[in-house]
Parts: sequence; C-alpha cells; structure tokens
Amino acid sequence: MSTPAQLQIWLEAIAAGDRDALKLLYDATSAKLFGTILRILPDRSEAEDVLQDVTITIWRKAAQFDPARASAITWLVTIARNRAIDRLRARPQRVYVGLDEAAEIADVQPAADTLIDAARDATRVHAALSALEPRHAAVIRAAYFEGLSYDALATRTGLPIGTIKSWVRRGLLKMRAGLTT
Amino acid sequence: MSSELPPNDIPELHGDDALAADYALGVLGRDERRAAELRLASDPGFRALVDAWQADLAPLGDTIAPIAPPPALWDRIVAEIDPAPKAVRKASLWASLALWRSMALGSAATAAIALALLLAQPAQPPMLVATLASTDGAALITAAFDPGRRAVILTPAGAGPDARHSPELWVIDGDAPPRSLGVIDMHGPQARVIPAERLRGLRAGTVLAISIEPLGGSPTGLPTGPVVATGKLTLI
Repeated sequence: MSTPAQLQIWLEAIAAGDRDALKLLYDATSAKLFGTILRILPDRSEAEDVLQDVTITIWRKAAQFDPARASAITWLVTIARNRAIDRLRARPQRVYVGLDEAAEIADVQPAADTLIDAARDATRVHAALSALEPRHAAVIRAAYFEGLSYDALATRTGLPIGTIKSWVRRGLLKMRAGLTT
Repeated sequence: MSSELPPNDIPELHGDDALAADYALGVLGRDERRAAELRLASDPGFRALVDAWQADLAPLGDTIAPIAPPPALWDRIVAEIDPAPKAVRKASLWASLALWRSMALGSAATAAIALALLLAQPAQPPMLVATLASTDGAALITAAFDPGRRAVILTPAGAGPDARHSPELWVIDGDAPPRSLGVIDMHGPQARVIPAERLRGLRAGTVLAISIEPLGGSPTGLPTGPVVATGKLTLI
C-alpha cells in the first residue's frame, strides 16, 4: 500500500485530469477497494460493476477530496462502501437466514494473526470493539463489513429493530470512548 | 449500597450524532441514506459528525483481505473515461462552477445536476434529453416533459442550495436572453405546467442551465447568480 502522501499527490493529479495518476492510484488501491466491495456484494460481476463506478467517481470527483476531512484511503474506501451499500439497498432484500444461524454474525471477528499484522489503528479499533458486549460488537462488524441495514440485521438475528439500534448505538459510543483512552 | 443502572440510562447516541454514526456505519435503509446525504450536502455540522465516525470506523477495513480485480476491468474503466466530453460547455455569461459549489451545495455529492427534459411533439413525440452537469458525476435532479399536461416533472435526487437561495432553470437559446423555466424545488418531486411560449424553440442543441438565485427566483428575470450546471438537449 502506498503512503498517504503518495495517494494524496495522485488525487491532486487526477483532479487536474491526469490519467496516468488514475492508473497508479488504481493499481495501488483497487485490490483493497475490490475486497471491500466484495464483502458487501459477493457476486463478482456486480462487485466489478461497482468498482468501475467507484473508479469513475474518483476520476470525476478527485478535486473534492479534502485532506482536512479524511485521509485519502478513508475517502476512497468510503466511496467504495457507499456505492456498494447503495447497490445493495437498491435491490429487493435478500432472503436472510433465520434464528438458527443468528450466531453466525459473531464469527466475523478477524483472526488473531490478522490483528497482529494490522496497523496500529486497526488494532485499537478491534481492541475497542472487543471490549464491547460480544453481540453488540458482532452487529457492528456485520454492518460495517457486509453493509447490512438495521432491517437486515433484525431479520438475520430475529430481534426487534429497536434492540439492534440500541446495540449499535451504545456499542459505537463505547467503542469511541475506548479509542480515546 | 450501589444500584445498577437501569437499561435506559446506559449512554446511547442521540439525535444528529446517532444519524451520523448510522450513516457512516452503513445501517440506514435506502430512503434514510438519501435523506442523510441531503443533510451532508447542506449541513457542515452534520458533515463533521459523519467525518468523525468514518475516521473512527475506517481502521476496521484494514483487516479486509485485498482481492485483485480482473485486469480487464481497467480496460472497461478506460473505455468509459476516454470518450468523456467531461466539461459541458459553459455559456460565457455564467459564473464559475467552483464559486457556486462553494456557496451553494458545498459538497461533492451534489455538485452535478443531471436533468432530462423530455420534449414532445404532437404525434409520435421525439424525446429530448439534457444532462446538466458540472465536472462531477452524481445526478441531482431529473426532469421529464409530459406533453399531455405540458408539464415538466422534476425529481430531485440531491440537495439544493441553502435556505436563502433557489435554483432556477433557464433556456439559453442562441443569442437571445436566457428564458426562465422557473424555480426548482429540490426537496421533492414536483410537476409544473410551463407556458407554451417558454417551451418554444426547445430543440436538440438548446442549452439548459441552472443558476442559483435569491429565494424565489431571479429578481430581474435574468440569471443573476452563479451556475450549477449546463447541458445541451439531445434527441434520444
């Protein structure tokens, strides 16, 4: 992965219409963006469509990247997640598994060795999540990684939507508190 | 003797911060997402809340395994970029898009307006469509012309300017003064009957434009504010 400064330089060049810079940025980040999209949209051709759409968006909107608001990679991943989630929301709700498999959402936690390799920030976030009640952390992970809506989370867990909302919002608040200590 | 906190006293996010967290996490439904995006485009305070949550959540993504996309995908992307007549020609009287962006919509997501004007002739009506865009991509509004009602149906897909300004739609017909098609309400779908004489002369090649005017529309009958977007009508 390229340095944040390099990504920012490329984005500035892309904003000026530099196609070569777009290719460099694409080569450096497309695997991460594709991986992110595939978690939300497992169908490869659909994920490819979204990555294409995301790359065109980056090409057109690079001038709107503001390093004061987000790092370059966060900006890129946010576009990818948003486009993938929009695509997910645009189609009829999938048939979700019922109660029996509800425990499955607890399995999204990354493997320990992945954690060790992860950047320090990631370790801190996962540590903060680990301090939460496991089911609260599980719904937050399922939402982040799979782009599931409150509706979908409620369907998957068989729990009332109000319960899920409460778990997510309390969990996020506690996660943030954990990040700042 | 200490007492346990009842569940309702456990701290929980509320109000805008809850909405910002929901949006950043991605748990909102489609309509709620769209509503949040409207707020994002027009409300710097809300934008800051969302930015903060996105920054907090972003490290989660670091554990997602990278997966290389197929090489052919880049070719598809290039094919879409290459023929791009990216800059829609601006009429010279319009102020810069950048100025408008900074004062009106603020955010990236809203800087483009795609406007489709479907124009009909009596019998089998040929349709005319204009895509009004700045240099950005996201559609802000679509408009369809209903010949039966002589109405333009506008369906906004993005946010408008602040509460003190109104977007106004114009026809730029050659050297003639711009002709107003009226103020656009960006808050919801609307149908408006437009007098026939204002629609006269609309044809392929006619430039449409949207400017930002004082609330209620231009006081002079001509555009006074900066332009959101311009585009030419084309036959489809």
